[in-house]
Amino acid sequence: MDSILSLKHLRKHFESQKAVDDISLEIERGQIFGLLGPNGAGKTTLIRMITGIFYPDQGEVFFDGKKFDPLVDVAKIGYMPEERGLYKKMKVGEQALYLAQLKGLNKQEAKKKIENWFGRFGMESWWDKKVEDLSKGMGQKLQFVTTVLHDPSLIILDEPFSGLDPVNSNLIKDEIFRLAQGGTTIIFSTHRMEQVEEICNHIALVNKGQKILDSTVQEVKQQFKKHQYLITGVGLDKLIMEQAPFTPVSQKDNSMLIQIAAQHNSSAVLRFLLDQQVEITTFQEQLPSLNDIFIQSVGNTPTARTFEKN
Amino acid sequence: MKKIWIIIEREYLTRVRKKTFLISTLLFPLLYVALIGGMGFIAEKSKETLTVAVVDSSGYFTKELIEAENNIDPSSTLVLVTNLPQENKEEENGYDGYIVIPSLNWKQGNDSLILSTYKSYGSAATGVVESKLNRIWRRLLNDSLQLDAGKQAILGQSKIGLISKNISDQQANSATAEGIGYFAGFLVYFILLIYGSQVMMGVMEEKTNRIAEVIVSSVRPFQMMLGKILGIGAVALTQFLIWIIFVFVVYNVGVKSGTSMGFMAEAVGGIQRMMGSVNVPLILGCFAFYFLGGFFFYASLYGAIGSAVNEDMREAQSLSFPVTMLVILSIAVMTAAVANPTGPIAVWGSIIPFSSPIVMMARIPYGVPGTVPIWQLGLSMALLIVGFLATVWFAGKIYRTGILMYGKKITWKEMIRWAFAKG
Repeated sequence: MDSILSLKHLRKHFESQKAVDDISLEIERGQIFGLLGPNGAGKTTLIRMITGIFYPDQGEVFFDGKKFDPLVDVAKIGYMPEERGLYKKMKVGEQALYLAQLKGLNKQEAKKKIENWFGRFGMESWWDKKVEDLSKGMGQKLQFVTTVLHDPSLIILDEPFSGLDPVNSNLIKDEIFRLAQGGTTIIFSTHRMEQVEEICNHIALVNKGQKILDSTVQEVKQQFKKHQYLITGVGLDKLIMEQAPFTPVSQKDNSMLIQIAAQHNSSAVLRFLLDQQVEITTFQEQLPSLNDIFIQSVGNTPTARTFEKN
Repeated sequence: MKKIWIIIEREYLTRVRKKTFLISTLLFPLLYVALIGGMGFIAEKSKETLTVAVVDSSGYFTKELIEAENNIDPSSTLVLVTNLPQENKEEENGYDGYIVIPSLNWKQGNDSLILSTYKSYGSAATGVVESKLNRIWRRLLNDSLQLDAGKQAILGQSKIGLISKNISDQQANSATAEGIGYFAGFLVYFILLIYGSQVMMGVMEEKTNRIAEVIVSSVRPFQMMLGKILGIGAVALTQFLIWIIFVFVVYNVGVKSGTSMGFMAEAVGGIQRMMGSVNVPLILGCFAFYFLGGFFFYASLYGAIGSAVNEDMREAQSLSFPVTMLVILSIAVMTAAVANPTGPIAVWGSIIPFSSPIVMMARIPYGVPGTVPIWQLGLSMALLIVGFLATVWFAGKIYRTGILMYGKKITWKEMIRWAFAKG
C-alpha cells in the first residue's frame, strides 16, 4: 500500500480537553478521503497537525514516506480551512500571487499557473478586481484556486462547498475528481454526508478525539447494513406471511421494504417469493446512507464543546 | 527566511501604496510642527505686559525715575505704591504682581529682589521688569558716584554678556538640547503609538478576515508576525527618511537663497546654530536605533494583543491599555529627564527598556559622553535589544495561540499563560 500520509498515535491535549486522543490513519495516494465527525470531534485539530500548524503532543506524522517536516512539506500541501478568507483590500491577482509565493513558487511560475487556473474557471477578468468586490461564491472559487495553485500532492478541503451555488459546486467537484485522477490525494472534511457519499472512496469517522470508523465507503455500508431489501413486483399484497424468512418494514403499492430474519439470506427470500407466485421486477439490498451511519455512530454523544467551532 | 521577505514586501507595499501614506507623510510634519509651535505660541501668549506695584522702603525709587522708565518702554509698567497690595485681590487693585524694595546697602551689594505675582509668567515678561529696575538702579549708582555722561558711556559699553557653557561637554547647550530632546522624545512617542497600533490593527484584520489560518498553513506564525512588524517598521523608516530628505532639501535651498529671503535666512541660521551645538550624526544614529528598538519592543506587544482579540475594537482597547500606559508613562519620565538630565529618574528611565527609547532620546542631545556616559548609553542599548527580543519571543507565543482562537474573550492572565505553555 502506498501511503502518502500516515499518522501514528497522534495526541494533542489542550487545557480543557483531549482534542485528539490517539488517532492513527493511513491515507493512500490518489485517494479522496473523507474525514468526518461532529462539531468538536477533533477534526480541525487533527488537520492542523497534518498541516504543521500544531505540533502533536505525542505520536508522529509521516508524509510521503518520510517524517513530516512542516518547514519543507507545507509546500506540498494545500489547505483550505473552514475559517477562511482573503485580504479584502488586495487585488485578486496580487492576492493569488502572494499566497503562491508563500508556498514557495517564484513569481513567474506563480503567475503562469494563476493565469492557467483563472482561465479554467473563467476568472481572467478578475485580476485587477479587489477581493472585497467579489461575491461570496467568487471568493470561494478564488480560495480554491489559491489552495491548489502550487500543485500540492495533498489537498485538504474543509467544507469546500459552503457558499457555492450548484453550478460552481460542480465545477469544484469536477476539479477534485480530476486532481485525484492525476494522483493528488484529497482529504475532505464536511458535515454534508451526501457529498461524502458522492465524492469519497474512503472515510474515517472521528468522535471525541478518537477514531471510531476507518474504511472504504462500501465496507462501512456493509458493516452497518441492516439486511433490508426493497422489492417491487406484482402480487406482493397477496403474500401469505406464515413462515416468511423476513418481516415487512413498510409496504406501498407494489413495493415492499423487508427485513431479512436472522439465519436467513436473500436467496431464501427470493425462493419464498417465487414460491408464492410473485412477479419480481426489482430486488435490491438497501444499504444505510452515510448520514444514517453517522447519526447512529455519534448521535448519542452530547455535543462536546460548544464554544469552539471545530 | 525567504517567506519573511515576501511577507515584509506585502506589508510594506500595501501600506506605502495607499493614499493615506502620502497624506500622513505630508501632514504629520505639519501637524507636529504646529503642535510644537502651538506650545511655543501658548508660551508666547502668556508673555503679557505686566503692571507691577513697587513698594519702596529705600526711598530711592522715586516716582520720577519710575515714570521716566515707563515712558521709555511702555510694555510693562511699574507703579509706585505705598502699601502692599493684598494678596488674591489682583482684579481689584489692577496689579499683576508686586516688588518690595528693601533699604539699600551701597557697599555690600544686594540680594535679588522678589517679584511676587499671582500667575506664572515667562522670562520675556519678567525680563522687561528686571531691565527697568536695573536701569533705575544704574542711574541711582551713577548719581551716587556722580559720574558724568562720558564716564557713564564708558561704563555702559563694558557690558559683560554671559553664556552658560558645560565644560565636560563642549557641545552641550541647554536650551537647544532641551528643544531637540523634547522633539525627539515626542517623535519616538508618536511613532511608537501610531505604528504600534498599526501592527495591532493589521493582525486584527488578518484574524477577522479569516486569512490567518490560510497563511499559517504556509508559514510559521512567528514568521507571519515578524514579517508584519518588520514590514510596518520599514514603512515608518521610509516615512522618517522622507522627512529627513525633505528637511535636507529645504535647508539647502534655504542656504542658496538664504540672503534674499528674510525668514529663510533666519531659519537657516537657526538650523546652523543648532547643528553646530549638537552632534547631529550621533543624534540621528541614536534616533534610528531607539525608534526601531522601541518599535520592535512595543509593536510585538501590540501584535500579541491584536492576535488575542476578536472583532471588537473595545476589547482591543482595554487589552492594549496597559501597554499604552507604559508609553505614556515614558513621556512623564521624559519630562522629568529633560528638566534634570542627570538625575536618577532620567538615568534609570533611559536604561530600562520600556521607557529608554523615549527618555534616552531626550537625554542624548545634552551630550555624550558629558551628560550621558558611554556606559549608560551602551547598557541602555544592550538592554533594549534584550528587551525587544524578549517581547518578540513573548508575543510570538501568544500570537501562535491567539491567531487561531475565535469567539473567546481573552485576558492578559490567559495570554501570559499561553506564553509559558509547553511546546
